[in-house]
Amino acid sequence: MKLASTLSLALAVAAGDLAAQATGVVVGAVSDTSGRPLGSVRVQVEQTTLSTLSDSAGRFRLGDVPVGRVTVRAALIGYYPAQTEVPVPAGDSVAVSLVLRAAAMELNPVIVSAAKRSQLLDQAMTSVSLVSREAIAMRAVNTVDEAVDKAPGVQFINGQVNIRGSSGFVEGLGSRVLLLVDGVPANQGDRGGINWDLVAVDQVQRVEVVKGAGSALYGSSAFGGVVNLITRELPSGPHARLRATAGLFADPPNTVWGFRDYTGIQDGLDVSASYGRERVRAGFAAGARHSDGYREQDKADHWQVTGRGEWRPEPVMLVRLSGAWASDQYQVPEPWCASGQCADSGQGFQPFRIDTANSGNTTRSDKGYFTAIVTRTPSASIAWTTRLSWLRTHFTDVYPGRQPPFALADFAVANRYGGEARLVSRRDTGQVVTVGLEAAHADVSSNVFSGDTTGGGGSHMQDEYAAYAEAEQVMGPVRATLGARGDFLAIDGGGVTAFVSPRGGLVWPTRTGSWRASLGRAYRAPSLAERFVTTYALGFRVIPNPALRAEDGWTAEVGRAWTPLSWLHGDAAVFFTEARHLVEPATTPSLQIQFQNVQRARLVGLDCNLTVMPLGPHLTATLAYLYLDARELAHDTVPERPLLYRARHLVTLTADYTWRSVGVGADLRSSSRFERQDPLFPGDPRLGGRVLDVRASWTAGSLEAHLKVANALNYIYNLAPRVLEPVRTTTLTLAYTY
Amino acid sequence: MPRIFRGLWCLLTVGAAACNEGLTPQTVCPAGFQGICGSVTFRGALPESTDVVYIVAYATFPQSQSDLFNFQPLPPPTLGLDSASRTKPQAYALPLPSGTYHWVLAAWKKQGALSQQNADSLLREAGFYKNPADTTQPGVVVVSGAATGVDFVVDFTNMHPVSYYFPPLVAHP
Repeated sequence: MKLASTLSLALAVAAGDLAAQATGVVVGAVSDTSGRPLGSVRVQVEQTTLSTLSDSAGRFRLGDVPVGRVTVRAALIGYYPAQTEVPVPAGDSVAVSLVLRAAAMELNPVIVSAAKRSQLLDQAMTSVSLVSREAIAMRAVNTVDEAVDKAPGVQFINGQVNIRGSSGFVEGLGSRVLLLVDGVPANQGDRGGINWDLVAVDQVQRVEVVKGAGSALYGSSAFGGVVNLITRELPSGPHARLRATAGLFADPPNTVWGFRDYTGIQDGLDVSASYGRERVRAGFAAGARHSDGYREQDKADHWQVTGRGEWRPEPVMLVRLSGAWASDQYQVPEPWCASGQCADSGQGFQPFRIDTANSGNTTRSDKGYFTAIVTRTPSASIAWTTRLSWLRTHFTDVYPGRQPPFALADFAVANRYGGEARLVSRRDTGQVVTVGLEAAHADVSSNVFSGDTTGGGGSHMQDEYAAYAEAEQVMGPVRATLGARGDFLAIDGGGVTAFVSPRGGLVWPTRTGSWRASLGRAYRAPSLAERFVTTYALGFRVIPNPALRAEDGWTAEVGRAWTPLSWLHGDAAVFFTEARHLVEPATTPSLQIQFQNVQRARLVGLDCNLTVMPLGPHLTATLAYLYLDARELAHDTVPERPLLYRARHLVTLTADYTWRSVGVGADLRSSSRFERQDPLFPGDPRLGGRVLDVRASWTAGSLEAHLKVANALNYIYNLAPRVLEPVRTTTLTLAYTY
Repeated sequence: MPRIFRGLWCLLTVGAAACNEGLTPQTVCPAGFQGICGSVTFRGALPESTDVVYIVAYATFPQSQSDLFNFQPLPPPTLGLDSASRTKPQAYALPLPSGTYHWVLAAWKKQGALSQQNADSLLREAGFYKNPADTTQPGVVVVSGAATGVDFVVDFTNMHPVSYYFPPLVAHP
């Protein structure tokens, strides 16, 4: 028995040695043309899942590289990518030196969201905006939505994201934008909305915003677009990071609006650590934040933990496990106090105070996810990915002032389980085919999404199954794409409803850029909350509507990317969406509020941006403009009129200047006021947004400092009804990276 | 070229600063307001079962219970009901389209979910704007801009159910 064990051990060691000899190691360094080492450069071996980031000395090490000639590619924002071919010896190492040349413009980055596979940005048939890690760091934001908010064509209304006016504002319910975390759907299982604090902002590598209908690949919720949060890669070796923030909120600009005798503060601390070897890498992060808020009854606390692990059993295969849990406990500062609803000092409204009927309202919101992803690239022509995911949300809203028969607390516990298998085939003929199967199960237990109008609790569930395929073919200079997705949906185990969402498009490269055009169908299934909500609001009963139909529509886009000079880049797109059965809250004849399929709508517009880097990468300025004509079409007795909560004009101007270790920058965001008065609050003032953020940063080796003054002009305004937008907030962020 | 963009940046920044007209303090009936403004004076003790008191306006006096929900605006503003708010006249503003309104009143609502069927048990007329020439009749208010001085009394000791004005709804099969 002992001999057998010894023999087994020897055989295992020998097998391990043979496996090691079938691979080699690539070590090297990355620098710029002046010889300065470049850190955080993504170095990867093409046609494999092997990749790493260079350290602050520019060094990197890639193990388990297949023997033979391989292509090593290095890329960093602000530089032209570089690649070299090296022979990898079995059981030995080879050294490479990569030199990156500074690019005035970030040219053609690789994206992964527009076609559910990696492709160059100028090969996408729809518009895509990117928010880089550098942009997130410079803005010193606390949550991801604060960074995405400045992307061209994107506007947040009290946390609800709009891509080209997609969603409007429905208290976070039924988002028409799909959130992905590393490609995994993360919209809530009950409300269909988005928890933007699910992923710690320090863990985000970049954000891809895909505009226009994405239902042909992503199904429901991608009606108006997709936001994909790509988390940071785990580098090799030991790494740690500490990030601390502290900030002050401006006091109300008028004494008649005063509500407290101290200045509100916010503070936060995030720590992360990771360790990586050739085959196994793991990382952990934790963070906490506290805010006094800028309004009455606005204190908030947030805690978060994140964990990730990676295992490469072979060079062409990667197994990733990741999970996060976040908990928020906050007072509810909405809606603001109208005349007579608080100590109003004779004012028509008190935007910093709350209606005393809502005194003591609080929310606890816990959410978490777990994801397992397996990627394998067995050859240059085939790659497949499978994933399993679980997203859980649990909120409790406490209303101490509520009167019977309504409960003093509303709650909902929701789960969303998902799975997907995807295959990407690339042929030398210029054909790329993507096929996949997807399934999801969502359930909710709640007293407000129960559908029980007597106020009792209940459960509901929704099952979704889908199959999709999309093929891209290079035909001469043109890339043509055609595909479709079939979705099958069942509520509470009932009858199956089917939707087919086809999409097609063309990309035509030119000497100075490319033209793109696409046409696709979009759909969105109502969330369980929209179907089964039963609660009490503003003195009126909100009743369920289990018969809600899915929204659907067609969307088209023609766009042009244009880079006539090395320091000038422009992108413009005209878009058109015709939608029907839009789900909106409506008032019934018996004075009850209900979600109904009430609207046909047309959204037409122009989305353009221009980036200039007149002094090389040191000075960057981007001007983005969105023109949007969003109209509810005439139906029954309702005449044609503007859609609610859509700004006709949205302008964003961003400028950054970097000199050695110091950087300064600013974002100016201006949006016109919503054209249609909110029917719930017809007498309320209507304003556009006009917000200036200024910032400065300083870097010294591993230490970074960021000073930001958000809403520097202290512009006092609201977008959602009776919800004051943030006042001037001064924040200092310090980060140390090991 | 850099000078042009630097100039554009400065222009926009200065422009934003110069146009910094956000929300500003406003009285209950601010300049430019369209609708009805006035004050209510409270009389009597607030009933324990009170949920809310709305202020509403009717373009024409309702003729039956089925007209009951043809009020404006929707949802209507509410009055502050804490003891401090009831000790002195409370200003209100009712945003309304231009037109003539024949009944401006305070509607007291009992706790509970309101529907057309239970309106008679949950709603009470708690006071209305009266015709200065004949205080037994509702006063008519013409809205073209802000109609001010529409003052009346909310009397919790003298409230009237819906059936005081109209016969109950006939139940439909």
